[in-house]
Amino acid sequence: MSASTLLQKFGWRRLSRLEIVQLVSLTIIAIVVVSPLIILVVASLKPDRFAILADMGSMRAFWVDDPTLNNYREILSFDGALPFGRYLVNSVFILLTTVTGGLLINSMAAFVLAWGQMRGRAVILSVLIALYIIPQESIVMPLLVLVNKLGMSDGFSAQILPWMASPIYIFLFYQFFKQVPKDIVEAARMDGASLFRIYWSIFVPLSLPVMATVTILLGIDMWNQYLWPMLVTQSDYARPISVAIAGFFGQDTVFWNTAMAASVLMMVPVLVFYLFFQKWFMNSFAGAVKG
Amino acid sequence: MAALTLRNIHKRYGGVHIIKGVDLDIAHGEFVVFVGPSGCGKSTLLRMIAGLEEISEGDLAIGGTRVNDTPPAERGIAMVFQSYALYPHMSVRDNMGFALRLAKVPEAQIKAKVDRAAQLLHLDQLLERKPAALSGGQRQRVAIGRAIVREPKVFLFDEPLSNLDASLRVQMRIEIARMHERLGATMVYVTHDQVEAMTMADKIVVLQGGVVEQVGSPLELYHHPRNRFVAGFIGSPKMNFLACTVRALGAQGVSVELPGGSRVTVPVEAAGVQPGQALTLGVRPEHLVEGERAGSGTLNGQVLVVERLGGSTFLYVDVNGETLTLQVDGNSRTGVDDRVAIAVDGAVCQLFDATGVALARHDRHPLADLGRHRAA
Repeated sequence: MSASTLLQKFGWRRLSRLEIVQLVSLTIIAIVVVSPLIILVVASLKPDRFAILADMGSMRAFWVDDPTLNNYREILSFDGALPFGRYLVNSVFILLTTVTGGLLINSMAAFVLAWGQMRGRAVILSVLIALYIIPQESIVMPLLVLVNKLGMSDGFSAQILPWMASPIYIFLFYQFFKQVPKDIVEAARMDGASLFRIYWSIFVPLSLPVMATVTILLGIDMWNQYLWPMLVTQSDYARPISVAIAGFFGQDTVFWNTAMAASVLMMVPVLVFYLFFQKWFMNSFAGAVKG
Repeated sequence: MAALTLRNIHKRYGGVHIIKGVDLDIAHGEFVVFVGPSGCGKSTLLRMIAGLEEISEGDLAIGGTRVNDTPPAERGIAMVFQSYALYPHMSVRDNMGFALRLAKVPEAQIKAKVDRAAQLLHLDQLLERKPAALSGGQRQRVAIGRAIVREPKVFLFDEPLSNLDASLRVQMRIEIARMHERLGATMVYVTHDQVEAMTMADKIVVLQGGVVEQVGSPLELYHHPRNRFVAGFIGSPKMNFLACTVRALGAQGVSVELPGGSRVTVPVEAAGVQPGQALTLGVRPEHLVEGERAGSGTLNGQVLVVERLGGSTFLYVDVNGETLTLQVDGNSRTGVDDRVAIAVDGAVCQLFDATGVALARHDRHPLADLGRHRAA
């Protein structure tokens, strides 16, 4: 039996040259993308923090001889300023409040810009779009001063309020709302719906795809926030997990093993979320690029 | 009572004058159709009645109450949109019940009303579906159902059938007419389709350039058009217009000479008309006859196009460089390039002066005031 008939027997076929090139290049890309994650997970299972560093330059970084969950145990029973789980809860709390508030505030602003009777809507919209060009980092310092002056520093509000409203999300909602036919808005007016009722009962349910996009993009953004919470939290009380992990990288010593385990713990919720909502993620990024 | 009164209604968008002073009375229970070419202001006028457009000047009263400043939902009206405007995320039932829910009507009552309307419109099997799962005709029925459940004093329709295919349009036309019979509500209907206007209306309002050209029953507009625009707009195929010259005035009417030299006498008032004056003769395709007839004027021409519809045939005939349309019997054997004689009976013709205004006819057509119900 020749190789090709064997292939046929299993319902496979010979690959064309193009398909082989595609397959190889995709495999290389996949390895490049996934290998840091593998190194991270493998390292988190290694018992010795020095060994991790030593293995890093070789293929041994991908392999662990004597896996252990000790690093995880150490983190979860960490008795520093606050238990590790608390930072996780902080992060989740900050994410949920920011995303919930962000969905409402951004969509409401977009609704008024798209369908309100207010004067100067076009000007506000173009200013908003212009704001999008300004990177977050460049406003960090004035924002920090502002937050301090308002007495919000070292708490949750300083980490939540500044990021709820965002020009890009307002614009995403705005674009979607603009596409809703005028007749539907007018039919609702004839049905006796107030402007808020039109927003709440018609635009909000219609914009679920945009809501999902904003939830995912803003959620990832908030989960990965590092610079800002680092600046506004002086004590541990409201610190998110991203900042807490940095604590493992001391000034003199780096606890690679626990840092790796903590990073895995920080990544797990996002990965699980991604696995369940893969389709939404794809749509979100495609939509965000298009928008 | 839900009579509508429009008094000197104007609409201006910035410097653009869209509606230029409309006066109109619509009686309770009447089916009124606004008809006219694109951009004539018919939809704007309807939207002003609905409250979706502000009234720049004039008074609008529904049931005797001035409603210029009343929000749409409080005017006691419901509107059916051309695009149906159904809420895509709601089931048929929720679409129909939305207004009642906003008005805080008890749920049991909403259910009863929606069920009744659904039955009337044969939507009972579709109540749990979303609009996306419905055909165009079904969506249109839902849109009508949404209007019905509110039990409005006045129904407004904005070109509701123009997104449907031809056969469905005829079917929905009949359904709306029957619904009007059953509900007895006042209905205002906008269309650019003069066949819809003719078949559905108690009263047609012909609009052009923001001005009412004529208001009347379908047959009044057909037999007594006030001007050339209305004459051309009402009737299908369009009325033929021929240049003619006044030759004699008498008790019988005005005698005019047609292209080719033959004469017809049109029974219209001769006041203000001089012999030798140039007028326009209007004659409908269905009133022209193939061949020569004693007592009728005659035109001669050559057939350009033949359209055979089975029951009737349309001939497009070149007469001295003008194309005339004839509606003849479906069994006519006339073909392209044939030379034909056309008999013109003056009794069914119209005469228009240079400004397009029709000369008043001696007699009113016996059916001009006939409504949909046979007169008692």
